[in-house]
Amino acid sequence: MATDARVACIRRVLGSFPDWSEPVVFSAPAFRIVAAATLVASACGTPGDGRSRAATIEIVDDFGDTLRLVRPAARIVSLNPVITEALFALGAGARVVGRTHWDSSPVAALAVPDLGDGMQPNVEAVLATRPDLIVLYASNGNRAAAAAFHRAGVPTLTMHTDRVADLPRALQWLGRAVGDTATARRVADSVTRSLDAVRALPKGATRATVFWHVWDAPVITIGAGSYLNELVDIAGARNVFGDLQRPSPQVTMESVAQRNPDFILAGPVAARRLRADAQWQAVAAVRKHHILVIDTAVVGRPGVRMGEAARFLRAALDSATRERRP
Amino acid sequence: MSLSRWLLLAVALVAACAAGLALGPVPIAPGDVVRALVGAGEPQAIAIVRDLRLSRVVLAMITGAGLGMSGAALQGTLRNALAEPYLLGVSGGAAVGAVLAVVAGLTAAVALPVAAFAGAACAVVLVLLVARAARGRADPRILLMAGVVVGAFANAAIMVLLAGAGEGTVRSALWWMMGSVAGADWATIRWLTLYALGGGVALVAVARDIDLLALGEDAAAGLGVHVAGATRRIFLLAALLAAVTVAGAGLVGFVGLVVPALARALGVRRAREVLLASAVLGAALVVGADVVARTVRAPAELPLGAVTALIGVPFFLVRLRRVS
Amino acid sequence: MISVANAVVRYPGARDNALDGASFEARPGCVTAVVGPNGSGKSTVVRTLVGQVELASGSMRVGAVDVASADRRALARTLAVVTQREELTFPLPVRDYVMLGRYPHHGAWSALGPADATLVDAAAARTGAAELIDRRTDELSGGEWQRVRLARALAQGGDVLVLDEPGTFLDVAHEMALFELLDTLAREGRTVLLVSHQLNLVARFAAHIVLLDHGRVVAAGSPADVMRGVVLEPVYHWPLVISRDPAVGAPVLVPLRKR
Repeated sequence: MATDARVACIRRVLGSFPDWSEPVVFSAPAFRIVAAATLVASACGTPGDGRSRAATIEIVDDFGDTLRLVRPAARIVSLNPVITEALFALGAGARVVGRTHWDSSPVAALAVPDLGDGMQPNVEAVLATRPDLIVLYASNGNRAAAAAFHRAGVPTLTMHTDRVADLPRALQWLGRAVGDTATARRVADSVTRSLDAVRALPKGATRATVFWHVWDAPVITIGAGSYLNELVDIAGARNVFGDLQRPSPQVTMESVAQRNPDFILAGPVAARRLRADAQWQAVAAVRKHHILVIDTAVVGRPGVRMGEAARFLRAALDSATRERRP
Repeated sequence: MSLSRWLLLAVALVAACAAGLALGPVPIAPGDVVRALVGAGEPQAIAIVRDLRLSRVVLAMITGAGLGMSGAALQGTLRNALAEPYLLGVSGGAAVGAVLAVVAGLTAAVALPVAAFAGAACAVVLVLLVARAARGRADPRILLMAGVVVGAFANAAIMVLLAGAGEGTVRSALWWMMGSVAGADWATIRWLTLYALGGGVALVAVARDIDLLALGEDAAAGLGVHVAGATRRIFLLAALLAAVTVAGAGLVGFVGLVVPALARALGVRRAREVLLASAVLGAALVVGADVVARTVRAPAELPLGAVTALIGVPFFLVRLRRVS
Repeated sequence: MISVANAVVRYPGARDNALDGASFEARPGCVTAVVGPNGSGKSTVVRTLVGQVELASGSMRVGAVDVASADRRALARTLAVVTQREELTFPLPVRDYVMLGRYPHHGAWSALGPADATLVDAAAARTGAAELIDRRTDELSGGEWQRVRLARALAQGGDVLVLDEPGTFLDVAHEMALFELLDTLAREGRTVLLVSHQLNLVARFAAHIVLLDHGRVVAAGSPADVMRGVVLEPVYHWPLVISRDPAVGAPVLVPLRKR
């Protein structure tokens, strides 16, 4: 499906249409309607990128602001690594004129100017790139920046990118903003398919339990509110602290020992420290050397490479389970 | 103080240590705790009791004893019941040292304690220099004011350091500043115990001077004390002892303030007894506070400094009532 | 015996010398009084004796010991000072407070023993503070506190006693009792040096009076010599009349009204 211009045409043709700003992309009835509408739409105009048809793009974002674009965005500043990666996946990498310091994927993104932090960004540096759209992460710390951008006349699109379910919606919004919803849907579908593939892999007799070591002083892990917890779930394992609601709860070493995870997932530096630390020996998994090194910089973002991350995690757990000492 | 009161203090300390060893998320029967202490029983229990809980208890004892003694020495010498080691630049300097280490990304286990101690030592020297510049090298009021000045400067430095730091750095720095006896390795604890013992013995050796300084400068001089030298010496000893505790456990406030007052309330009068009673009472208090900190909101851990600060509140209320 | 020879003391940052070449002696067996207007240097004498202030030149000796070079703890075994003010931040039992007077006799690690306890009780009995021995210092009245402080000074065991304004905060009865006690102590062979404002009491109890003005000794001698209008008026800048009350037997100073 191309632009909203065609939507308008089909509306006229069909008289009613589902509201595209809701995340109904994956629900079966909408699929059927889309399929039917596509057939009808071919009568309404040539398939194209739709840039030639001017109609306002309207999106109500996660701050409650309404983004109105007269034409698709051509100079986008992305202040969120997930969004940067997504924009490149949509083939809109050439339009990205600014990124945050932490955006390292894909490699082509490194050529984009580094504008500093994504949280509480440097407003002047961002505005200096003369963007026509700024995509921000929806945290309260960014409200002031969003207001400053509005005052300067640049529209913003603010979204959460915390969980698996946030990505398809992000892709849809981005697709509309750049005027290429077809590619957006393709990318979203492929991500979903890759995740489903991992979910469908045969599971062992019992689910492995894991503890994900995020920080050392204090000891911080992942809880039910976090994307990594979802990733663990998709990979067929269970987070021993999955009963805690907060995304990054602080726990004591002794409670880790008590919950006795089968495996510990930790970053490379942390894994070395865990092995060397006398106090962590109280946890059985450390004693038995069941520590898996997972670099969260690669695996930790709910972006377009989620499926790869899930596959990688599942493979690591499988091989560790096979080699595990009783 | 009567023998029964001393026994009471000893019992309190033993009870606090027992609680510290026996309580925790992993249920271990008391008999198994004792067995684990000597190295017998399940490896899991041994690891938990010895490496996790015992190290916390020992570090908590050193911290409490050191802060208690330091506060007792300073209150007598500076003739001020509200004096405590953190007022003299010790906490500010140590925090600057620790934050610098965190910002610089030093990850070795000894980096933070050494940096914290170095920062505290620099701050103490700075306080003495400021006092000398104000021509009051041994004047308690000037020492206290110099301590406040150095502390304020240290706070500003910390704010500057943290303003430009990343999220992980800020989190680590703040966690250190809130105080905790978790995660100390035995090598560090051994050093800290040695220094703390040395400092404690040195303070007990000058206990008589503390008694006499408490009378006022001229009276103390008339009883044979070199007032300026003794004041400076006690100030340095007390501040460095507090710096040792901060190096090990971060900022654990109010202990140096509350413990000597409690010791005196028990009927202890002479400086040597106040020092010893403050050591025992301080150790029991911090061990108890640590037990509270890690059981009240399990599996999370409250910052130790927060628990001891909550103890400070009723203390001040009682004092206010007595004053008015 | 205390001998002061050409003592010069200047406080840091002060314009004038606090003591400007003062010389006098206090002999054993009698009470010597140092008197003078405010700022004449009386308290400076006491401060220099305890070592809180340094002599710029001249000397002060207690017995044969020069104060400037003395070991302070050894000196405290000979010389006991009762200062003008003493603020106990934390109250002590009176017994423990008087025991502080025994500290100069012990090093850091030597313990106080029964001999010390006996001396403490004796000193308390001497100054009439025996019944106060089990009370606490913050429960005492002004007079009781002075007696206890004097007991502490006596417990130090020396034969030289220096007191700075001991009569402050005392009523007539307590002040008289204190001065009589000082007189008795002096007659027992001690050197008693007294700094005081109370010219009339000093005239009755001191055998030797030293009059200071602006750091210098302007008169020294018996009460009859020093307590004269022609001597005192130029120093105090106030009209005075000296009379002699037969009941008292010593010169009595009566300040006149200017208006």
